[in-house]
Amino acid sequence: MGALDSPQRPAILCGPTLLLVLIVLLFSTFSIRLWYLQVYRYDFFAGRSQDNRTRQTTMFSPRGIIWDRNGVLLAENVPAYALALVREECPDIPRTLDQIALWTGLPRADLQKAFDLGKKRVKHFDEQVIVPNISFDLVATVEVHHQEWPGLVIVVRPKRYYAHGTELAHILGYVARANEAELHNDPTLQLGDDVGKQGLEVVLEQRLRGDKGLEEFEVDALGRVLASRVVSPPVAGEDFSLSVSLPLQQAAINALDNRAGAIVVMDADSGEILAQVSLPSYDPNEFVVGISQANWDALQDNELHPLQNRPVQSAYPPGSVFKLLIAGLALEKGLVSPTTSVYCTGKYTLGQREFRCWKRGGHGKVDLLKSLRESCDVYYYAAGERLGVDAIHDYALQCGFGEKTGLELPHERSGNIPSSAWKLKRFGERWQKGETLNFSIGQGHTLTTPLQIARFVGALVNDGHLLRPTLLRTTTPEIVGSLPMSAQTRKLILDAMVATVEEDQGTARLIRRPGVRVGGKTGTAQVVKLMEQYEKKKTHEIPYRFRDHAWLASFAEKDGRHYVVVVMIEHGGHGGADAGPVAGAVYDAIFNGQPGL
Amino acid sequence: MIDRRLFLHMNWWLLGLTAMLFCFGALNLYSASTLRAEDGLILDVYFNRQMIWGGISLAAMLGFMLVDYRHFKSAGPVFYGLAVFLLVCVAVFGKTISGSTRWLDLGLFNFQPTELAKIAVLVVGARMVSGVPERLGLWNLCKIVAMGFVPAALIAKQPDLGSALSIMLILAGIILYKGLTSTLFRVLAVLIPGVLPFGWFFLYDYQKQRILTFLDPNSDPLGAGYHVIQSQIAIGSGGFWGKGFMQGSQSQLRFLPEKHTDFAFAVFGEEWGLVGSVVLLSLFSAFLYQMYAVALEAKDEFGSCLAVGVFFYFFWQILINMGMTLGIMPVVGIPLPFISYGGSASVVNFCMIGMVLNVGMRRFVFKKN
Repeated sequence: MGALDSPQRPAILCGPTLLLVLIVLLFSTFSIRLWYLQVYRYDFFAGRSQDNRTRQTTMFSPRGIIWDRNGVLLAENVPAYALALVREECPDIPRTLDQIALWTGLPRADLQKAFDLGKKRVKHFDEQVIVPNISFDLVATVEVHHQEWPGLVIVVRPKRYYAHGTELAHILGYVARANEAELHNDPTLQLGDDVGKQGLEVVLEQRLRGDKGLEEFEVDALGRVLASRVVSPPVAGEDFSLSVSLPLQQAAINALDNRAGAIVVMDADSGEILAQVSLPSYDPNEFVVGISQANWDALQDNELHPLQNRPVQSAYPPGSVFKLLIAGLALEKGLVSPTTSVYCTGKYTLGQREFRCWKRGGHGKVDLLKSLRESCDVYYYAAGERLGVDAIHDYALQCGFGEKTGLELPHERSGNIPSSAWKLKRFGERWQKGETLNFSIGQGHTLTTPLQIARFVGALVNDGHLLRPTLLRTTTPEIVGSLPMSAQTRKLILDAMVATVEEDQGTARLIRRPGVRVGGKTGTAQVVKLMEQYEKKKTHEIPYRFRDHAWLASFAEKDGRHYVVVVMIEHGGHGGADAGPVAGAVYDAIFNGQPGL
Repeated sequence: MIDRRLFLHMNWWLLGLTAMLFCFGALNLYSASTLRAEDGLILDVYFNRQMIWGGISLAAMLGFMLVDYRHFKSAGPVFYGLAVFLLVCVAVFGKTISGSTRWLDLGLFNFQPTELAKIAVLVVGARMVSGVPERLGLWNLCKIVAMGFVPAALIAKQPDLGSALSIMLILAGIILYKGLTSTLFRVLAVLIPGVLPFGWFFLYDYQKQRILTFLDPNSDPLGAGYHVIQSQIAIGSGGFWGKGFMQGSQSQLRFLPEKHTDFAFAVFGEEWGLVGSVVLLSLFSAFLYQMYAVALEAKDEFGSCLAVGVFFYFFWQILINMGMTLGIMPVVGIPLPFISYGGSASVVNFCMIGMVLNVGMRRFVFKKN
């Protein structure tokens, strides 16, 4: 008998029995637990184990390239180096961020913000971009110190580059880092992706972007890749050829000579935009790498609004250019004929009010041709009074005003064509007859974009087709309507436009080009009712913001092709004298330069 | 002193089970210490080292078998004194390895006095308990606890909570085996659960974190909870038959941390499945049963208490380590005997078994006398 078999066997559990009970408990508890984990929950744990060993990585698809109409690269992808962090491998993240701040000179708080934003979206074993677009010097520095900073990696990602950024900023727009809302709305976007923010980049975003591919890796816990396979290959984004000609665009920019304004050059038959200038401009590449606060503030505070794409996003009173439309309506309604004439004494009286012609002394006897050639206001006061506001309104709408042209650019404005109903609704007042007179010479509440004017002039020369203008190369124009003018009416107006250029009394004589049939119409749109003190002054003597807008709408015909050139100089003074030479220079580039049209 | 007849009475079962467990451990370590690199397999140093330690352990075990265990009774206090002295030395001159000061640099090799303390406390504990004729009263209990508390406190200070805990648990096992007077038992049954929660305030932050993590591993899946979660994934994904030898993706691809030491059982469970795990569990159970048998047959109470002490020494380690890898116990750095890699632990394990074999084979010695 064992020595421990003491005479009084304990009532409470102790002695050898305790050991047996413990063995049984140990065995049964762990067997049950093993069964629970390995049989009952096998599927769950097998799945987790599989997830552990496979990782999926996005394969980037190159964004579509954009060329000009002759194959000059306008938007391309260049490699950019970014500093990224793999959280799992980084033993001391705050210290690493301190070091990055030291290297890059970026504020520590900004890095922390970038890190916190990404923490939610990037897996702990994936590369989380902290600083996009680092300099090559910094790449070298980081590579040298690579061993001391585990978890810090340099990633190479494609970056958008605009070789002629400033010259095409308003057409191409730009891409920039997708923001929180964009990431939220588009599940295919990942943190650090670039998306189109402006211009064609945003409008064509889905086609330019392509589809990302997916690659699956078998990895160990340190993230070392043991095997890989492509689950779905990346699909490159679509490439685009623009209708724009870079040399012509550059010539047009030079012609505008740093004045704020817009130029639209359009192929009247196809609707292709050959050049589209908006000045002042900006450098879209700054947005790609992340514009600095100072530069952003400068753009925002600039009174000339460089970000504004004037040809489509700005609407101005068309001034005398609008007379082309009134002439068309008057002819169509039979109100006037080519031989009908009005006597201009330099003023037109309506009730007690006097409406003056721009030519103080009057034009004398004015017929249709002369009214356009010399831009007589009185002729159109008379016509407008008889036509009435609502007839002009309806006709202007049929001519494509007051609505968007449908060009592939964002935030296009429709302008404004007033009517009596509009006035009542907008101001709660009845339309005054005098307003109709202002309306007839394109003043008052009438607002049109330079592109609408270009489309209208284009329809005059292309047999009356209102086209949808396009920035993309095309051979099949998209006709969206027809000009409500008979061929005869159009011919009369075109002839008058040619006379405006070809005859010495013509207001647009400065754009005359030998060997080419050119027609035009000038416009000098008042910004505010000119104050008395400025009346006799020259343009440069008047404060900038009170100066008139200078318009020139024109067409040229050569070798069966029709070009439309519309120039709008903001506060540029007189249509003929100021906008004329600009249009002339554009025609020089078209007919004498190497525009590659 | 050495009688050939002694070997006739040797508990061959215990020896055989020990050998089998050692082989299981070696096999598992072979798999766990393999690195899968791009250019094939590389065997890490752990396997070879463990084999060498196995040899040393075997010699140590023989040493502990051959000396009549009754000599331990008198030698115990000396070793105990030595162990406490060395632990004080460690506290003063110790060598710090990864945040804990546990080693004495003796020139030739690093010596960990903690291991000596475990054996010494066990022997002295058995001696103290076996000298009491009745069940333990308050005075005796206090003496025994105080004896264990001195080295345990020094070890806990290193800090090595796992070893300090095992020392106290070995004593607790022996005490429970011996039995307490009913009054004392009842008082303690109320008092200990009442006082235990206040122990929280004496824990280090990382120890608190482990307990919190045990309660909710998913609160920090990549930090403190990572071990527990990955361990359960490894074992659970092993399924019924296991993924096969050296095929466990959790361990081979290194998702499982400390796979050759504290979490070695997870590697085993992943590769051998429910079948292998239950076999291993059965071996451990049989192994413990044999120690129970030795305790039952021992000729004197000191021998019984020695065997019981060793029983608990292994029992607690199995309970805590397997419980931890299975996610039903908090993470405590206690290895699984024979399965986890560890040189000095292996030596101590074999010494402990040597003591039990010693008690077992001398169970008839008194009759001869």
